[in-house]
Amino acid sequence: MTLISSPPEVRDVAKSPRQGRHLSDKTFGFLLTLPAVVLFSAIVLYPLIGSLTTSLFQQSLVIPGRSFVGLDNFRQVLDDQFWPVLRNTLVFTVFSTACPFILGFALALALNTRLPGRAVLRGVFLFPWVIPGVVVSFAWLWIFNANYGLLNGVLVQLGLIDAPVSWLGDPTTAMAAIIVAKTWASFPWIMVMLLAGLQTVPATLHEAAAMDGAGTLRRFWHITLPHLRGIIGIVVLLEVIWNFQHFDMIYVLTGGGPAGATTTFAVAVYETAFKGFDLGRAGALGALWLLLLLVLVVGYVRLAEREEKR
Amino acid sequence: MTTLTVAAPRKRRKPRPWLAMAAVLVIGVFAFGPVYWLIVTALTPSGDAFRFPPRLWPRTVTLEHFANLADNPVLGRYLVNSLIVSSLTAVLTVLVSAYTAYSFSKFRYRGRRSLMSLILASQMFPQALLLITLYLLFSAFGLLNSYLALVLSFTTFTLPLCVWMLKGFFDTIPDELLEAAKVDGAGQGSVIHRILLPVSLPGLVATGLFAFIRGWNDFIFALTLAGPDKQTLPPGLVNTYLGEFQAAWPDLMAASLVVSLPVVGGFVILQRYLVAGLVSGAVKG
Repeated sequence: MTLISSPPEVRDVAKSPRQGRHLSDKTFGFLLTLPAVVLFSAIVLYPLIGSLTTSLFQQSLVIPGRSFVGLDNFRQVLDDQFWPVLRNTLVFTVFSTACPFILGFALALALNTRLPGRAVLRGVFLFPWVIPGVVVSFAWLWIFNANYGLLNGVLVQLGLIDAPVSWLGDPTTAMAAIIVAKTWASFPWIMVMLLAGLQTVPATLHEAAAMDGAGTLRRFWHITLPHLRGIIGIVVLLEVIWNFQHFDMIYVLTGGGPAGATTTFAVAVYETAFKGFDLGRAGALGALWLLLLLVLVVGYVRLAEREEKR
Repeated sequence: MTTLTVAAPRKRRKPRPWLAMAAVLVIGVFAFGPVYWLIVTALTPSGDAFRFPPRLWPRTVTLEHFANLADNPVLGRYLVNSLIVSSLTAVLTVLVSAYTAYSFSKFRYRGRRSLMSLILASQMFPQALLLITLYLLFSAFGLLNSYLALVLSFTTFTLPLCVWMLKGFFDTIPDELLEAAKVDGAGQGSVIHRILLPVSLPGLVATGLFAFIRGWNDFIFALTLAGPDKQTLPPGLVNTYLGEFQAAWPDLMAASLVVSLPVVGGFVILQRYLVAGLVSGAVKG
């Protein structure tokens, strides 16, 4: 309700200089994004398109020139590389998302109670997440070391195993070991995100439900979880997207071995292009990889937009 | 009757921190065990480090491994490279993301939302895939093994989150402040450089530090696009220590601590902004 409406002429006079600038404002606003747009086109969009077209050519990193081969690269890749790599990537993605999620959620719930020093704890627990990925890999390489590793030492002394195990050298344990390390590196981020969400759950809802006699578990299920649905969706999708293309830790911990047991898409594409010098095959593998990834990204952008509207 | 229903939940609502404390303790051991072990190994004399089962508590402490690092000229070069590349990345990121964030925050034009989505989505394209063409591109321009190649490629991956961090900052600056300057006759440029940027200096510093950390931590781009003399610390350490037949573990742990130091320091400084930026960067599309 406007109490005093100004006379129309006055409003026009006040607006006219602004309107004169309005159009140039819009153009100027767009121009401000130009450096970012140029950078993205050169470093992301062009390379993306370039890598995808490479998949149709026979092209080597060490020999100049290329020849068109159609879908030959795709045929080869689907024949001998794609399926085991997809399996490894899916196993890594599912467990490297689920394990830190459970851990991060548990910690977020714990830190959301009236625990002494929880503000400090929240910062301190973010620590593993900040440490450079390569350093995280070094620490775990040393812990998993077959001869002198901490893990073997503790397990032998507890009598859980008789002799040291080569965790990263055995195809059956290598992937599990990588997932443990990845869980360590990513649960803090999940904790922070979920804690931020938990703090927006109105306490009055919990109080009202408790009045009606709802126990902790029921309140968690019927109040906390529904309230966090949006943020949980985003966190899980982002983790899935990141894990689906994770490179650093897998590369340093096992290099994709032993016997290809931990070769995911990122490692396979990198190795095919820069160790095998076969850009065509790397491009084909990458195109299939991107197709799967795109489904996830579109889902994420949709979800993020819906979340912002809420 | 009423007194009963009010009294009962009071008892129920009493905080029961036992479960929470236990969870924090267990997860704490998992979270800080590896950090503890990294520090202990870096301080353990070589003879003691290679024994099985390992001693959880070091009997003697030495700084020899840190001295070994100082004696290694290659590591010094990696360190300098990392400092140069990360600093330049921070500067370029702040510049580009400040203009972009200002545009997203204060201007409304067609295609704005699509641009925002594009920039957000761009950080999700796999680096390993981009590298195939990026390598050829930089090679064609003679930029392989140069600081420029690293800075340019790092910046595109620091930008998305930094744009969102800064947009959040600019959103809190009242439009009236900028409008008043315009009414006083300030041009678009001086509104940005004389008013917007000085007012948001804390946000710019936080964004720069964050970009620095991302640049400092990058592995795959530096591994591929930089040769031995422009290599940064992460791939440099991998090549130095894991390429050898036998890894010098205590030395590597000492090096790891040194590499982590600036990142942890920067994190402590910008923790407040970082957490807020992380949350808004992930949620806002």
